[in-house]
Amino acid sequence: MGKKVLVVDDDPDVRLFNVTVLEEHGYTPLVATNGEEGRNLAKQEKPDLVILDVLMPRESGIRLYRELKTDKTLKHIPIIMLSGIAEKSFLRSQKVLAEFGDATVPEPEAYLEKPVEAEDLAATIKKIIG
Amino acid sequence: MKIKKLLFVTKFEELGLDALQSLLVLRKAALEHVVFVNVIERERVAMRRGTGYNKEAEIRLRETANIRFIDWAENLFEQGMEVGVYIVVGSLVGEVIKAARKEEADLIVIGRSQKGVLEQLYAGSDITELLHRTASPVLVYKYLSESSFALETPFERPVLATDWSPASLKAVDYLKELKEVIKEIHVVHVAAQKTLSGSAMAIQKTRKKMRRQMDEICNTFEAEGIAARSHVYVGNPEQEIEKAARDCQATLIVMGSSGKASWVERWLGSTPRNIAEKSAYPTLLIPPEKI
Repeated sequence: MGKKVLVVDDDPDVRLFNVTVLEEHGYTPLVATNGEEGRNLAKQEKPDLVILDVLMPRESGIRLYRELKTDKTLKHIPIIMLSGIAEKSFLRSQKVLAEFGDATVPEPEAYLEKPVEAEDLAATIKKIIG
Repeated sequence: MKIKKLLFVTKFEELGLDALQSLLVLRKAALEHVVFVNVIERERVAMRRGTGYNKEAEIRLRETANIRFIDWAENLFEQGMEVGVYIVVGSLVGEVIKAARKEEADLIVIGRSQKGVLEQLYAGSDITELLHRTASPVLVYKYLSESSFALETPFERPVLATDWSPASLKAVDYLKELKEVIKEIHVVHVAAQKTLSGSAMAIQKTRKKMRRQMDEICNTFEAEGIAARSHVYVGNPEQEIEKAARDCQATLIVMGSSGKASWVERWLGSTPRNIAEKSAYPTLLIPPEKI
């Protein structure tokens, strides 16, 4: 069984794309359609990598990202942010939240803007978890 | 009930980013999460004889909405807000209610209905329909009114029109939670001409009773640190509430929504519905408790 990669995205097309790329490259995909599901799966499965969208219903990826990066048992898991939201807006939001008194969290291991090419996604995953 | 999460329903023509920005004053109260909703009405992509379902149109409309929302979301994320998005195909009211329920929204913000008179009469207005089916308060927002002035502080000076109904009393509790953004509330009751009949003494007694009830409401606000004044108007409620809003230089009209059945409202009308749809002022409607 390949390394486990958790995909958290509300868009079914993006989930399918990610799962296809992962399977083609020998990884085992786990899928969550929103932040809550993503959090539960991350705790349960302890994946080797998380691919996380930002803009989702119920709870944005920003909140889940912060939770994962501040959870003692999960903070070591690398995260690739995959979103239509610009990286600079994401980083700025993290800075503002830290200024509001939230914890300062490290930057994600990679930030890819949607849409992403399959080769770029695969190469980024490989670079991070091999 | 604090406004922590609001649902911002837009077709982009009537409510844009500037309108949304003006609502961010609610962050001083409790707002932390904005959910954008764009409903692509079925007729725009529906099956047509010879062409079938227009998937291409759906994709185009979805992506157009997505481009706008990404831009808005970046803006809000950079201010430390939480943001969510729904771009769905369906009926406006049904999808808004579904999203409001799923998100447990504390407020639904929607633009004025654009339907024509006949269409409203037969199909009903979206606002009337929405008010009957949702348990969330609804703000019918008119950011750029007919006089084209942009509201910078929409909650600064609300007029609360009360008829002592459970919904209008619920509005009092709702407004108390907005004390950080309200400067002064004007509590208005419109008495019907027929209640002022009999001797001068009898009319004065009625006025005194109304005044006392309104002062109780004002005291509730003042206990929360919100300045409040009461006013009695006499006549047609729709016209008088509008007049009161002008007199008080109001930024918003707040009312409990009617408990009438939607078909009754469609044919006979109701004051909250008519004000929401016709007034130049943004109108916040608080529904009665749903059983």
